[in-house]
Amino acid sequence: MEIRVEGLTKHYVAEGRTVKALDRVDLTIPANRIFTLLGPSGCGKTTLLRCIVGLETPDDGEIRIGDEVVWSRARGIAVPTEKRGLGMVFQTYAIWPHMSVFDNVAYPLQVRGVERATIGKKVAAALHFVQLEGVEQRSATRLSGGQQQRVALARALVAEPKVILFDEPLSNLDAKLREETRKELKRFLGELNITAVYVTHDRVEALALSDSIAVMRAGSIVEIGSPQKIYFHADHRFVADFIGRANLIPVTVRGSSGEFTVVDSALGSFACAPRDLAPGSAATLCLRPEFLHLHEGSVAGDRNVVTGRIESLAFVGEVYEAEIRAADLLLLARTGPDTRLREGDTVSFTVAPEHCLLVSA
Amino acid sequence: MKDRSARLTYVLIAIVGALTVAPVAMLAFGSFTAGLDAFGQFTLAKYVAAYTDPALLKVLGNTVIFVVGSTVLATVLALVLAYLNTRTDIPGKFLFGVLAIVPMMIPHVLFSVAWALLANPSNGLINRMLMDAFALDSAPFDIYSLPGMILVEGLLNMPIAYLIIAPAMASFDVALEESSRVFGAGTWRTLLRITLPVLRPAILAAFVLGIVRSLASYAVPRVLGMPGRVEVLATYLFEMISVGFSPDYGKAAALGMSALATSIVLIWVYRTLTSEGSRFVTISSRGWRPTVVPLGRLRGPLFVLVALLSFVVIVLPVAVLAYTSFVPYSMVPSAQAFAQMSWRHWTEVFADATSLLALRNSLFLAVVGATLGVMLSLFVAYVIVKLRTRSAALLESLTYLSFSFPGIVIGVGFMWFFVHTPLYATLTALLIGYIATYLPYGVRPLASAFVQVHAHLEESSLVCGASRLTTMRRIIVPLLIPGIVSAWILMATMFLRELTLSVVLSRPGSEVLAVQILGFADDGLWGKLSALGIVMIAISTALVLLAGLVGKWFATGARPRPEANA
Repeated sequence: MEIRVEGLTKHYVAEGRTVKALDRVDLTIPANRIFTLLGPSGCGKTTLLRCIVGLETPDDGEIRIGDEVVWSRARGIAVPTEKRGLGMVFQTYAIWPHMSVFDNVAYPLQVRGVERATIGKKVAAALHFVQLEGVEQRSATRLSGGQQQRVALARALVAEPKVILFDEPLSNLDAKLREETRKELKRFLGELNITAVYVTHDRVEALALSDSIAVMRAGSIVEIGSPQKIYFHADHRFVADFIGRANLIPVTVRGSSGEFTVVDSALGSFACAPRDLAPGSAATLCLRPEFLHLHEGSVAGDRNVVTGRIESLAFVGEVYEAEIRAADLLLLARTGPDTRLREGDTVSFTVAPEHCLLVSA
Repeated sequence: MKDRSARLTYVLIAIVGALTVAPVAMLAFGSFTAGLDAFGQFTLAKYVAAYTDPALLKVLGNTVIFVVGSTVLATVLALVLAYLNTRTDIPGKFLFGVLAIVPMMIPHVLFSVAWALLANPSNGLINRMLMDAFALDSAPFDIYSLPGMILVEGLLNMPIAYLIIAPAMASFDVALEESSRVFGAGTWRTLLRITLPVLRPAILAAFVLGIVRSLASYAVPRVLGMPGRVEVLATYLFEMISVGFSPDYGKAAALGMSALATSIVLIWVYRTLTSEGSRFVTISSRGWRPTVVPLGRLRGPLFVLVALLSFVVIVLPVAVLAYTSFVPYSMVPSAQAFAQMSWRHWTEVFADATSLLALRNSLFLAVVGATLGVMLSLFVAYVIVKLRTRSAALLESLTYLSFSFPGIVIGVGFMWFFVHTPLYATLTALLIGYIATYLPYGVRPLASAFVQVHAHLEESSLVCGASRLTTMRRIIVPLLIPGIVSAWILMATMFLRELTLSVVLSRPGSEVLAVQILGFADDGLWGKLSALGIVMIAISTALVLLAGLVGKWFATGARPRPEANA
């Protein structure tokens, strides 16, 4: 079910200052897709989610779930949380400690007045779906973190809601479990064909899970797109920087040459992925560390080649991370674990034009 | 090092054991003997006499109604107040802090007397004013009744219940309620199915503690129950041993054994519940402000109710005592009454040798008792929290045993002990009894102070090259001072107002303030009583304010500021 948000505004007063948690946000979340709100803490992503679910009251704007307006200041509509018919997985899971696993999952059905026999069947189906069977009568808080997470998911799914919302559901798991749970979650949601809104500050989570990502900053949505679009073809410097590790180099646009846009920088000139920018205007060149190809010594060439000195070389497991000093800039590059490079060596790198991303200055 | 820790533990077990187990043992021995002077000959006669007395049934019935009624009142009031304060947008939240602290400054015996002055059926001020205003033939309220006793005891125990329930409610993860609402439950259903059940351990703990306290309560039954001939266990027991009737310590001990056993079991339940509570309380990982429930149209009326409660619990009792201390005899406030006001009762009290002796004795017991009590508590808390030797658990149990002591009953136990020593009828006897009975009040704040001194703080001082002694002086003691101060003040205020133990142990020459006040009440000297009572409240208030100031000074001065830790 589609969710439409129009002109949504929310202010907080914290320590005497007014904070704009949401600044006239317009957003359409497409039906039956996994949609992620991504951004640094304090960007308003959780506030937006809580406004959609009704736990937070906006100052202005309108929220529509499917065809129903659930909140509108202009029309004076405010459907309470419990009447919105949603499912949600909380950051702390919010598993009720005084109830068994069964009672936790059955609760949404019980409050809807579903008959007993049906409840039993549906709870069993939901627990089967999240692969958590045989623990129905256990006290829910005695389960492991990963199992509690599944209880929370089963509870969110059991009443077959129109929309399911996730508020950083993996942030309380340790790194290894988080990765496994993320994969499972993706599989579960893929099978369900349901509208899912997912809030996170973890870019890997966002990239791996989503059909669409909205990157937020300071109460506004900066950019929306598929994970590939956001990672490889971001329009905004903030987005390019936030979504992955990036070397950001200030450049001046020279013009177009064939299928590339050519720019000048302190490191020389680069042919970049085409972008419609006026000659002479300022822009930022974004180079991902994994696309810098290192060569020993200096390499000749007039475009997309930089020569510098290795200032530090750190072994981080699968790769070496090299910091290369070139014309006052410190650039991050990655190289295979079999490299023969040493700190202090002169080194060059080349980068293919299609991996040179131009973003706003 | 290990030997010394073990030896310290054993010494403390011996001292605390002597203080807390000895009176229980003496009570048990005493219950099997014929009387104070016939110690050693075994007899079951006292048990037979105590438990076959036909009067007992009525007393037990009254006791159950009084104890359960007042505890239900206290717990429900505390629950409503805690919810209003922590979860709603009610104005004037400072009132809740006042409601939780201020009643500690008003001794129970004075609170009871104040209500007797306000609502006794013959000349209670409220009754007289209502009778004048509405031309009634009879008094509308009778405080000398079970409902009256339940009301007053409930109001007295409400702050304790509040202090248990409010923190649990404040640390409650609001997501538990939010998720209930997301899944379709409304506000009321969420309250009944999620909020209250999750808080169940805290609510039950408050309830159980309330039962123990009202079972031990003597002030309310004595001041409000006796005039209307409503006897509960505490007053019934006291009558058995009070000089002038024909004291039967054996029978009192035999009956007291059940009260003590009940209390010990209840305190055990209470301690189980509070440790289980930590399993239930889930702290949110994120700093979300708890969602505030808007009260809407109820906001004003509920605030008025809370303000009214504050007035009834705090202002009214003190005001009526102050007023009574200035008027010559009980009269409704009027121009005539104000014209007749004088300092007469005050000058009489300060010329009264017994009152002055009681004041001096109480001050001595408060200052010396609290100092000795805190010193003992310091060692006990150190062993329980820091040394954690194998026998530390035993020491902890011995210490908290006295939490369950009903004052009158344990007073009887002490009596069996002191009567065979030269300590009988001395201030020292009271001193020992006080420290034994109120030891947990000293150990508790000190134990939590020790918990806050993380082992790493000590260890890093040692690593930096400081000796153990320097570490103690520069690191541990400065961090403990707030705990020491609050333990001292808590004990001192408890001792200043002590009634239940004193009423058994004090004899001519060792009178204390609360006992002297009871004496005035028995003689109907309300004016003198009020004057002495105001002095008592003033000293208590000064101590509590001092605690606040000292606490604040250490919070901002000697200790790191909170923002520096963030």
